[in-house]
Amino acid sequence: MRRRIALGGLFAGALLTPRASALAGLLRVGRRPSETFTLPNGLQVVVLPSRRAPIVTQVLVYKVGSADETYGQTGIAHFLEHMMFKGTGTLAAAEFSRTVARNGGRDNAFTDFDMTGYHQTIASDRLELVMRMEADRMVNLRILDSELRPERQVVLEERRMRVDNVPSEILDEAVREQLFGLHRPYAMPTAGYVDDVKKLGVSHLTAFYRRFYAPNNAVLIVAGDTTAEAVRRLAERYYGPIPNRRVVPRHRPADGGSGLPQRVIRADERVPEPRWNRDFLAPSHRVGETRHAHALTVLTRLFGGSETSRLSRALVAQGGIALSARSGYRATVLGLASFGIAVQPARGRSVAEIETAVGDQMKRVLDGGVTAEEVERAQNQLLASAIYSQDSLASGPRLYGNALCTGGSIAELDGWPQAIAAVRPDDVVAAARHVWRDEGAVTSMLTPAGGWK
Amino acid sequence: MTALRWMALALGLALAASRAEAIEIKQVTTPLGIEAWLVEDSSAPVVALSFSFASGSANDPKGQKGLTSVTASLLTDGAGPLDAQAFKQRQEDASVALGFGASLEHVGGTLRLLSAHRDEAFELLRLAVTAPRFDSDRVEQRRAQMIAGLSQAEQRPAAVAQRTMMATVFAGHPYGASASGVREDLQTLTVQQIRDRAASMLTRNGLIVAAVGDIDAAELSRQLDRAFGGLPAGPARGALPEWTPPLEPRIVNVERPVPQSSVLIALPAIPRDDPDWHAAVVMAHILGGGQQSRLFTEVREKRGLAYSVSAALRSQRRASLLVVSTGSAGEKVAATLRVIKAELVRMRDGVTDQELADARTYLSGSLALLLDSSGSVASLLHGLQVDRQARDYLDRRAALIGAVKAEDVRRVARRILREEAMTTVVVGKPAGAATTAEP
Repeated sequence: MRRRIALGGLFAGALLTPRASALAGLLRVGRRPSETFTLPNGLQVVVLPSRRAPIVTQVLVYKVGSADETYGQTGIAHFLEHMMFKGTGTLAAAEFSRTVARNGGRDNAFTDFDMTGYHQTIASDRLELVMRMEADRMVNLRILDSELRPERQVVLEERRMRVDNVPSEILDEAVREQLFGLHRPYAMPTAGYVDDVKKLGVSHLTAFYRRFYAPNNAVLIVAGDTTAEAVRRLAERYYGPIPNRRVVPRHRPADGGSGLPQRVIRADERVPEPRWNRDFLAPSHRVGETRHAHALTVLTRLFGGSETSRLSRALVAQGGIALSARSGYRATVLGLASFGIAVQPARGRSVAEIETAVGDQMKRVLDGGVTAEEVERAQNQLLASAIYSQDSLASGPRLYGNALCTGGSIAELDGWPQAIAAVRPDDVVAAARHVWRDEGAVTSMLTPAGGWK
Repeated sequence: MTALRWMALALGLALAASRAEAIEIKQVTTPLGIEAWLVEDSSAPVVALSFSFASGSANDPKGQKGLTSVTASLLTDGAGPLDAQAFKQRQEDASVALGFGASLEHVGGTLRLLSAHRDEAFELLRLAVTAPRFDSDRVEQRRAQMIAGLSQAEQRPAAVAQRTMMATVFAGHPYGASASGVREDLQTLTVQQIRDRAASMLTRNGLIVAAVGDIDAAELSRQLDRAFGGLPAGPARGALPEWTPPLEPRIVNVERPVPQSSVLIALPAIPRDDPDWHAAVVMAHILGGGQQSRLFTEVREKRGLAYSVSAALRSQRRASLLVVSTGSAGEKVAATLRVIKAELVRMRDGVTDQELADARTYLSGSLALLLDSSGSVASLLHGLQVDRQARDYLDRRAALIGAVKAEDVRRVARRILREEAMTTVVVGKPAGAATTAEP
């Protein structure tokens, strides 16, 4: 799937500055070759060959995450991810990872709002071994109470490490509750609420497993020193016989929390200096005014994506108001996304100063002050990072896994560079006007125990 | 010519001669005498460079802690005719990632570039190392950012544990100096001190370079001479003083209002060039090197006392440590420490044949997993040079690991795992009841 696109159609001659032709050069590099097919039972398979080293990475992602939980049973997707490393009918507890290590490989897993993934990297002639074991635990997992009990403590320790020990993460949970609405999919923490995790038992986890773990609800991605034919042969042998099951379509609300705008302030004795954030509900590639998604990707890059972005220049480099000022946005989610702005104020600066400075920068964008030059710069950076991502065995599967578990397609992925390159300054302004509205905003602050002084 | 056959040997693979990916490390010596290791690989239009200068934060002058770190971070904040914004803009326009950071004994740099922008990337590198500006406004910003960063680190139990461990184990030695008092010294650093430090550390003597990716030896040679050729040779580096390991056990508790305490146990280990080094690597792996290790099994798998628990060797020129790290809810810290200490004692009795065989297989094969990207290969090659290994080390490593016998592991366990040399650091509220922060 090599891509060869001349930019003549996208940019008028007058715009073909050196940077625009750099963009054309980046577009021509294109995406790494990939092959994709689907087994009769519905398992989608993506193969990303790379012969850099005699190793392969297998990633199996399930289209289920913490946002698919029900309130009162939060943390179940993540808890189940832990239990997947216990036994099956033929594999004893912990034998999965032990076997991978014994064969010189490493393995791990992750849980996100929309997806749960399992991955191993190992010598390429051991692909069959890890595929056999991964297919085994797709259907044969045995969740035992005796193994679940100590693992619950591990899960709670993980939560302590990642959330309760980290004041900004505790604040983030509270912000999500306001932004997306309490008890709703993206407001439920992936680590789960402690009281919920304490109540989860074998029957809850088993039911969740049976409901979501099926070949037709998963994507298999194999990257590295292999071929599509080899992967197909192995996938047919090990995943092929697993029957599909009816999987209920996932639901994500089209609206966010009620009663916005909101302000959330958390004072914490562990915080030395205040932080200021503002998050907006934003469309993703799936939900909301999806036509703005690519322009928002360009907007966040030029507004707060680097040290030369508008926010960084105005608040850090010139103003001396902040130590850092960034923005962030990710379009690949199944439901609504968020557009976030985060500022680390310089010592002694007031909330009003920060809000005025950020507001001023936002107003300049909203007033139409986005130049063709900065849009092209942002596009260059985005396309370059896509090329850099081809250099790593881990980033390809991440890209495909994210897209395919959030309702995206291979065609969309292939078209991404063109879609980014086609964004015009007017689109960026329109996207900002759509998203930067009070009725979609949560402003939050993390302050020392005594508040923001 | 050094092919990385070790992966094949280790795993018993039949690696056909035609395979394109067998990595070959070339020695490159430029006309100006700069030496580098190079792995050519055109599988992506990307080049990664990992390099370092032979002086680090352990060489901070007295009363100027943090000087090397702040100097390193300022190298990309404007150079030659370009102020900070112009420099960053040039980087971004060419999609060049260039960064510097200080470790105890080195100032390291990484450069990542698209091969289409090679000239521009090496030009920016040249400017950064030969003509950094140190404009006063940037100096003030970096100073403020570093001080804020240190204040925040002071609230992260794992960072406090790390700092406390270094200050305790290396009390009186330069390795321990930058573990405390950095904020105070940073306040007083002057631009002139930063300029002087840049001049003293940015020299060709001791420069280590590893390059990986879409570039050949002749081109690399030309670019390295352009980037580093203008630097002075500099004086030979004097070694840091010898370190005397602690002679008695120490327990340091640092109270912090966190639900999960951070725990480190440090033991003086053996030098990198000790004949028992590979036995120590095997021992550390069996003890705490992954999801099958003894510590993982006993602390997490069986008892659910912690989420992460591991043991690893860390080596510097003048010292090496075996460090066990974990995190546990306050009320479980005592139990966790008991289990860990029992495992340290048990390891002194040796390991089973199965454990040894598994560790050897894993350690021989796992290096291949580091060949994931140009940057990680460059970093691996750079690390080998820092450790003063020969270019064929990767070829020999599997044999060195494979030669380790159970009695070697037992001997090295007895050399390292000595309760009387153990430093234990606990940061949190180990004795009190768990406090759960309310969202």
